[in-house]
Amino acid sequence: MEILIYGTINSVALALYALGFALVYGICRLPNFAHGALYVLSGFIAWTMINTFGSNLLVAVVATLLVTGIIGAVIYRLFLIRVRGMEISEIIASYAIALAILEGLRWGGFKGMTYTLPVFIEGSVTIGGISVDYQRILVVVVGAALVAFLWLFTHYTRVGLALRGMAQDERAALMLGIDSDMMAVVAMGMGSMLAAFAAILLLPLGNIVVESGYNVLILAIAVCIVGGIGSWMGAVLAAFLIGFAQILTVVYLGSHYQMMVALLAIILTLILKPSGLFGQQKELEERV
Amino acid sequence: MLEASDLMVFYENNLALNNVHIRCDHNQIVGVFGANSAGKSTLMHALSGIVLDMQKKEMMAGGERITVAGSVRYQEKEVMTVSPSRRAKMGIVLCPERRRIFKESTVLENLKIGGYLASPAQARETLAYVFDVFPTLARLKNRIGGFLSGGEQQMLAIGRALMAQPKILLLDEPLLGLSPLMQAMLMRTTREIRDQRKIAIIVTEQYARPVFPIVDYAFILENGSAVLEGTREALMDNPDVRSAYFGV
Ligand SMILES: Nc1ncnc2c1ncn2[C@@H]1O[C@H](COP(=O)(O)OP(=O)(O)O)[C@@H](O)[C@H]1O
Ligand SMILES: [Mg+2]
Repeated sequence: MEILIYGTINSVALALYALGFALVYGICRLPNFAHGALYVLSGFIAWTMINTFGSNLLVAVVATLLVTGIIGAVIYRLFLIRVRGMEISEIIASYAIALAILEGLRWGGFKGMTYTLPVFIEGSVTIGGISVDYQRILVVVVGAALVAFLWLFTHYTRVGLALRGMAQDERAALMLGIDSDMMAVVAMGMGSMLAAFAAILLLPLGNIVVESGYNVLILAIAVCIVGGIGSWMGAVLAAFLIGFAQILTVVYLGSHYQMMVALLAIILTLILKPSGLFGQQKELEERV
Repeated sequence: MLEASDLMVFYENNLALNNVHIRCDHNQIVGVFGANSAGKSTLMHALSGIVLDMQKKEMMAGGERITVAGSVRYQEKEVMTVSPSRRAKMGIVLCPERRRIFKESTVLENLKIGGYLASPAQARETLAYVFDVFPTLARLKNRIGGFLSGGEQQMLAIGRALMAQPKILLLDEPLLGLSPLMQAMLMRTTREIRDQRKIAIIVTEQYARPVFPIVDYAFILENGSAVLEGTREALMDNPDVRSAYFGV
């Protein structure tokens, strides 16, 4: 029971880490190595809003989402657009931005264990004999809602459909008037907002530390590689696979093996099935 | 309504279009015929502005240098430097060679993506029209694009382009690899679309025979140059054209 509950929560957390990364990669083929840095940055933005400007939680949340989305869009428009389409350069450039953000925060004095975000609702409930606090339940609920929202957005709205067209064939989309540069800015803004969502939901469970920027990036990449890059359903299922595997190792082996699980998952996937568990794109190509 | 003059396109030092002049008037169907690698697709890319996107991508990746010169005028305006998405918005819509439909999306989603530039009312109206001229697509509307046959994919590609509200539709080798029956059907429908939607159409093809019955005017491309042009009747009577492009 414990494994079931904590496995689910951990899996949804992983899915939240990965969602924005998967969206940006799926649509722009841009491996955004600044994803984890945006996650941490949005945590500090929320912290500053609450503690320096004394705004209430709801205002801080909305402002953090917007500001992080804009920062992501600006990063794309100013820097990443110049290396568009060259994956190695994209990785180097976005990783450089990540280093600048994270080390900049550290240099700016955001370090140590003193920074925390408040939870939305205090308290906890008991499910099957296990006490679970409300924030963790909120993580699962909002995580599921976000996945559902993204699905509806990409299947039923004009911009969402255009993004999917661009993900499949950028030039064909261009012929239909879909401006790929603008759409990439939109995708990057949304991806950054998803990083902020994850931060606001998950950071209250611990401290805001600069190092988690690197961990979040690795976990997001692990989920996307195992799930099959470009496949959303794959990413969600991979999050559950890795999420439960992590909880199982914590229970039976000890908590310091948790990160090993993610890295092992990457290596095993690359050896056994490089296109990922659900790399359907490839299969379709082969059929045609 | 669309007129290109002195059009030159170089891929590095390879001249793909040499001083080409072509025009297409309102409500006209213009054919462009030429053998493989005569420059048909390059012409379509220059007219739709896709060549600018290719140029930009190649430059960023440090690939080949693409040079474009000359003029493309559309509705009395010079559009040579206008981006492809803006040209699509102005009404120049390219339906590319090899169809390039969105293979992982359903037929209906492909059409909806095509309707990106349309208002909701236009999209609804055009969708009904596309299903009307291509009833096959209505039947297959929930089928994944990658699982369609070649002919069905071509219908979808044309329908998707129509969703973008073209005033001039550029069809690049729409008949490639299709059965004679399917070719005839597509050409009949293409003329029907011109008549009902009041749009201009430029269609390229290697073999003139299946397309010729529906064109008003045609150009013949050879090695990047427009070597011959004329009305359907005039070209029909030209013995060189007959032997080269009709196999008579
Ligand atoms: N992207 C490209 N890079 C270099 N050369 C190209 C490229 N596209 C076409 N060409 C060359 O330009 C010429 C015209 O090609 P194309 O316009 O594709 O002809 P068609 O569509 O009539 O078959 C050919 O010689 C072809 O090799
Ligand atoms: Mg061609």
